Amino acid sequence: MYWGGNPAECHPRHFTKYTLMQKSKFLPRGRKDRTMVLVDIRETKSAKASDIFLQVRPGKDFELITILRAMIKEQHVGDEQIAETGMTREVLDDLVHRMKSCKFGCFFFGMGLSMTRGKHMNSAALLTLAAEMNAFTKFVAMPMRGHGNVTGADVIMRWQTGYPFGITFNRGYPRYNPGEFSTVDVLVRGDCDAAFIIGADPGATMPQPAIEHLKRIPTICLDPHVTHTSNLARVHITTAPQGIAAPGTAYRMDELPLPLKPALKSPYPSDEEVVRRINAAIAEKPFWLAEGSQPQMITNQV
Amino acid sequence: MTLQVIDNATCTFCGCVCDDIQLHHDEMRIYKAKKACVLGTAWFLNHTAEKKYPDALIDGKEATVEEAIQMAATLLHEADMPLVYGMSNTTCEAQKECVAMADQLGALLDSHTSL
Repeated sequence: MYWGGNPAECHPRHFTKYTLMQKSKFLPRGRKDRTMVLVDIRETKSAKASDIFLQVRPGKDFELITILRAMIKEQHVGDEQIAETGMTREVLDDLVHRMKSCKFGCFFFGMGLSMTRGKHMNSAALLTLAAEMNAFTKFVAMPMRGHGNVTGADVIMRWQTGYPFGITFNRGYPRYNPGEFSTVDVLVRGDCDAAFIIGADPGATMPQPAIEHLKRIPTICLDPHVTHTSNLARVHITTAPQGIAAPGTAYRMDELPLPLKPALKSPYPSDEEVVRRINAAIAEKPFWLAEGSQPQMITNQV
Repeated sequence: MTLQVIDNATCTFCGCVCDDIQLHHDEMRIYKAKKACVLGTAWFLNHTAEKKYPDALIDGKEATVEEAIQMAATLLHEADMPLVYGMSNTTCEAQKECVAMADQLGALLDSHTSL
């Protein structure tokens, strides 16, 4: 089930390489052994590839997920509540039957779900639905990641800090609170007083108040191109593009690490080298907390 | 002119990270990306090893990488609440260095995921 995404245009090989076409031991007929459902507010190119297309009314994803959560548990749902989402009872009864009777279901959710009305509450509701489906059959949920190695960022931050994003070290140890420490909120409120941007272009993608704040504070930008962010930054450093001229590792969206095989020899240094050199330069300066007030490490305690 | 061929190269344009691409290149430019989709082909063919941009810019003026690194370290160290953000179009090795930077600075750390 794809929810709020358009893989036919944004992830062109997703169907053929991963989800629909591949033949396997348990699905020897490939596409014929699978059912694809697309939930979206408009009929995109991906609808052609789907067996069932559900056109949800814009902004009603959370309601539809909540109705599905009730229906799988055979709780009462009113007709007017179903009509509000743009669905009919027959369609949803059929969907619930198919979901419960499948051997292995997977939700792939895109920005159409996670960036519209309800935002992270929508994602949370879909994850809960996937968890609850496990009372009947195997079901999982996976976000459709846009940029190359954004999954790797989650994995690395989880490994190093215990949290996937929205972290602060301002007490000397990592704390996690999206909404308080997530970038858009921090920038719109004007909390931070310097920004280090790597492998991203917030100058082109963030809301205007956030961009205004990036212009006010010293911004440092690492990118293979001179981007919108570079133009508003105090410092820009050109680096080699990952996977084309810089070696390393990247995570696929199902959290499988893959080695990169760069073809070109870039005249620019890699991101890794530049960040390491900046870290070394920072390490030569005095630590930000006064002597004696550093957080006590567990290993130092008697 | 014979081109070098890399089998099973990895494309990092989108989250699919397809690892079965065949690249035909001469170290300056990639001429062919077999098996890649339209987005992946554009990604591989649009990057070259030419020096199109200055090494570094400080306040819009060209600078050396070393000067830019020192300037970046000074600005980040002076800040009370720096932010380390992005890490999408970069390698895991660089991401690990970014986490170390945030730890060292007492900074905020965030990726595209929160958008």
